[in-house]
Amino acid sequence: MKDTLIALDGVWKIYKMGEVEVPALRGVDVDINKGDFVAIIGASGSGKSTMMNLVGCLDLPSKGKIFLKSKDITTLPESDLAALRGRTIGFIFQQYNLLQNMTAFENVLLPLELQDMGDGKASERAKEVLKLVGLSDKMHNRPSQLSGGEQQRVSIARSLVGDPEIILADEPTGALDSVTGREVIETLYRLWKDEGKTVIMVTHDLHLAEYAHTHIELKDGKIIKIAKNEKQKKPRG
Amino acid sequence: MKLHKCLKHAFSMVMHSKLRSWLTILGIVIGVASVIAIVSIGEGMQAEMESRMSTMAGDILTLSAGYSRGASMFGPPGEGGGDRGGGSGGKATKESEKIVVDKTDVQALKSIAEILLINPQIRGNANISYMGQEGSVSVTGIDQKVWSQITTDNLKEGRFLDSADKNVIVIGSSLAESFFDHPLGINQVLTIEGRSFRIVGILDDDSRSIYMPIQAAYTVIEDKDMDVYDSVTIKIKDEDQLNETMTKIEKKLMIIRHVTAKTKDFSLTSSKLMAATREAMLSTLNTFLLAIAAVSLIVGAVGVANTMFTSVLEKTKDIGIMKAIGARNSDIMLIFLFNAALIGLVGGILGIVLGSILSGLLPTLFGSTMMLRGGTLVSLNSVLLAIAVSVGVGVIAGAIPAYQASKLKPVDALRYE
Ligand SMILES: Nc1ncnc2c1ncn2[C@@H]1O[C@H](COP(=O)(O)OP(=O)(O)OP(=O)(O)O)[C@@H](O)[C@H]1O
Ligand SMILES: [Mg+2]
Repeated sequence: MKDTLIALDGVWKIYKMGEVEVPALRGVDVDINKGDFVAIIGASGSGKSTMMNLVGCLDLPSKGKIFLKSKDITTLPESDLAALRGRTIGFIFQQYNLLQNMTAFENVLLPLELQDMGDGKASERAKEVLKLVGLSDKMHNRPSQLSGGEQQRVSIARSLVGDPEIILADEPTGALDSVTGREVIETLYRLWKDEGKTVIMVTHDLHLAEYAHTHIELKDGKIIKIAKNEKQKKPRG
Repeated sequence: MKLHKCLKHAFSMVMHSKLRSWLTILGIVIGVASVIAIVSIGEGMQAEMESRMSTMAGDILTLSAGYSRGASMFGPPGEGGGDRGGGSGGKATKESEKIVVDKTDVQALKSIAEILLINPQIRGNANISYMGQEGSVSVTGIDQKVWSQITTDNLKEGRFLDSADKNVIVIGSSLAESFFDHPLGINQVLTIEGRSFRIVGILDDDSRSIYMPIQAAYTVIEDKDMDVYDSVTIKIKDEDQLNETMTKIEKKLMIIRHVTAKTKDFSLTSSKLMAATREAMLSTLNTFLLAIAAVSLIVGAVGVANTMFTSVLEKTKDIGIMKAIGARNSDIMLIFLFNAALIGLVGGILGIVLGSILSGLLPTLFGSTMMLRGGTLVSLNSVLLAIAVSVGVGVIAGAIPAYQASKLKPVDALRYE
């Protein structure tokens, strides 16, 4: 039996630009199962990022409800949302979004500090995930001393460090070349396959979308297709 | 996030901050330094005042000839007045005649019931010699019958003068100990203007003065007319009646001297009253200076607020990132508040150092001016207060920017470039 982890129920997001109202999402209904690997696809401006931000509790819908583990996040107080973001969700952004004044290690450590984890345990865990993404030797580098691919691996490590159930990645390969991009997607694939994470990613690249298990296609703020990916790709080797 | 972690992040923010933060800190430094300098000068003045006040008797008045309106507040007591006051009435009927205080005035004073003792005195310089060495010191002729009861000086050795004394003197300790190569002691004989005087007492002070019976003083001090006095010291019966008694004495003297309040040609002063007035004036001045210093501290605070606003703006993206990975509003708020408090603290500490150096330098720069005679005093209290104030200023100035930072919506913050 599949259990629903995330449910969007009649979700609207309307951005107000002064007098003009821009509807980015127009009545989205979707259930995402625990342990699924979802790729959200669609043209630019179709509302993909908007949907990700809502799922990730970074923003609240204008209308409708969003359930995360059967809790309606639209009614939760700010501190609970922060806790959800910290413990249940790991973010990977297109522009990596690392803190520039901190080393790779400190960046990865930060989510654990925010969760009040003990120092010893936290630094052990941070080193562990940095090793997982293959950056043990560069963990004392600042983001400016790392390549784009390495920075994205730091950001993946940061998203993993709190052992979240859900990984959200908004165009994680957008700033990378195709080889590095593929490596990142393959890392996500393994997290889904081996660690049992629920992974949701946004991508433009239909080749990369082939790694996902489910495809959700958006057009003009509406879901036009939800389908199982019959020819799911596996990483080589 | 735990408090010490917030503090750690705030600290690293200050450390990574640009020149701007240091300029902001400089603003606080200047504010705190000026407050510290002024407070320490004030406390030095206060201490000096208090030590002087404690030696002043509240029941002693000084009468001297001449009157100047708003008599010099800052001069030492007894020197006020001088001969600036030329009244047209009274004893100064003839142009050539000097305005003086004399026997007639003393006679009049004796009829006032509130007065306990009257000590007419004259003062001048005289040449002295001892064992072949010579010098010139101040000689005061006093009424030896009342002097011991009216003076605020104490004896170190020997005795005060008494009624039977003629050619004997009491001298200041500095004259006794270090004026001549050989120290002077009790029963030694000093030559003053060619006449011999025997020392019977040494005062417990630092002066080089000589006190002798007034009749003897007329013979050694030049240009003194008999029964004319430089000043008259008056001891009243009831200290609590100081003001009333002063008014009464002034009235009586005005009648005797045929002057009105406008043409008044004498001064009656109470050193304690003058000191109190002076103290009040200084404390007003001090408050005024402190207000100016406080303004500079406020300017510093505005600087902190400004820097914090800019810093929140600059860190918008970072705030978004931190929120995306689980920071609560209160975490962000605390980090920014600590940041502001640290700017205040660093500014405060540097300000105290600078302020202490300044207040140490001021007396040497303006050494002889009246206000700084007591030196300065950087007290623990003012240091603690300065730290508390500067941290407080930082926190208050940082409060609104920190609140703004904490309220940023994660999506909006993340989108900020
Ligand atoms: N903060 C905002 N204010 C106003 N309009 C917005 C805002 N964010 C998004 N929009 C609008 O909402 C619509 C959907 O934007 P969204 O960023 O979700 O698209 P997207 O599918 O992620 O596009 P892309 O593939 O280019 O990233 C767009 O028309 C966009 O202009
Ligand atoms: Mg997008």
